[in-house]
Amino acid sequence: MTANNDSNELEALFDSIASDYKVTPPASPTPQHAPPLPPAVSAAGDNDDLQALFDSVAAKNTGAAADPAVDPAAAEAAGENWPKQEAVFNRIGHMARALHDTLGQLGYDKLLEKTVTALPDAKDRLAYVANLTEQAACRVLNATDIANPLVEDIESRSRALGARWDRVFANQMRTEDFKALAGETRDFLNQQLPEKTKATHVQLTEIMMAQDFQDLTGQVIKKVVALAQELESGLMSVLLETVPDTKRTNEVNNLMNGPVVNAEGRTDVVVNQAQVDDLLDSLGF
Amino acid sequence: MAADPKMRFLVVDDFSTMRRIVRNLLKELGFTNVDEAEDGAIALQKLQAGGFEFVVTDWNMPNMDGLTLLQTIRATPALKALPVLMITAEAKKENIIAAAQAGASGYIVKPFTAGTLSEKLNKIFEKMGQG
Repeated sequence: MTANNDSNELEALFDSIASDYKVTPPASPTPQHAPPLPPAVSAAGDNDDLQALFDSVAAKNTGAAADPAVDPAAAEAAGENWPKQEAVFNRIGHMARALHDTLGQLGYDKLLEKTVTALPDAKDRLAYVANLTEQAACRVLNATDIANPLVEDIESRSRALGARWDRVFANQMRTEDFKALAGETRDFLNQQLPEKTKATHVQLTEIMMAQDFQDLTGQVIKKVVALAQELESGLMSVLLETVPDTKRTNEVNNLMNGPVVNAEGRTDVVVNQAQVDDLLDSLGF
Repeated sequence: MAADPKMRFLVVDDFSTMRRIVRNLLKELGFTNVDEAEDGAIALQKLQAGGFEFVVTDWNMPNMDGLTLLQTIRATPALKALPVLMITAEAKKENIIAAAQAGASGYIVKPFTAGTLSEKLNKIFEKMGQG
């Protein structure tokens, strides 16, 4: 008999009685009385009882305890002895359950500990990302606020000068007006235009430099993603072990999911404005 | 109906950057009379004070979300005729259907372009002119 086989059989056995064990209220324990107790005793009393009983039974009858695989058949065959043996198996099951729980807790403790330290760190990192991206957005918007009037000014002055030059070409301008126009145009080309384009260029550079957040946030996000994957796989294994099949659902349904980060293979989301419009049209809105 | 450049807009979004972008886009389209609110609850207060002719709102916001704001507007006699354009990252089909059923005048998914905003606004103005 291998240890593996043993644990599988035990697993099945204690799973079948675990519900009794769990819902037991802490009734006043009477450890010294009634050794073949049904499951309705407190956990503490049960353990003491169990230990004593187990020791005594193990000494007398190692075969029964060591080979649970024969459980139902052997129990059936035992006839009159069955109630006593059932109690023994129950207790072995409880013991194994306690061991299993303890081992599980030991493993999960590490996961929890990691979560407790890793999550605040991830929160800080994400706050840093939010901070940097907000700063970048502000810098860019400020730059466009400064650059837009400059460009608009260039446009309006060019149009005004152009309209006056149109009059020159239509022979509608007197000589002194033409001289003034030529002087203003020269001034515009030599002074105002270069000044304004230079100032616009400064803002374009500012917009470019505002993108430097991407390098920093990219590194931070990669770390958080790695952490999230680690936590996810740990939590998934806990869930898979503990959540019954019927409780597992694929998706949480609500209307506030935020941006769709990966639309591949999904039919319940739209990926562009054209699809929004098509959907609304198809519904007659 | 030609859109009145003095038309008063309320831009509702919990992110100041987004409010600023929408405000700038509206400005480029010739609408300079724009106020902002950072969630549905504040928006509702401002709307109830009166004077607004157009609402542009996000969906996912604290205190009161955009859909609740829309539903409240449609259920309030003084506000129910207000055009409400939703600009949101929510892209599930059921979101779009829910918004349409609640009486949204238009639905734009983020990220969006200036062209899309202009097109949807014009479409809404056209409908307002017919109605």
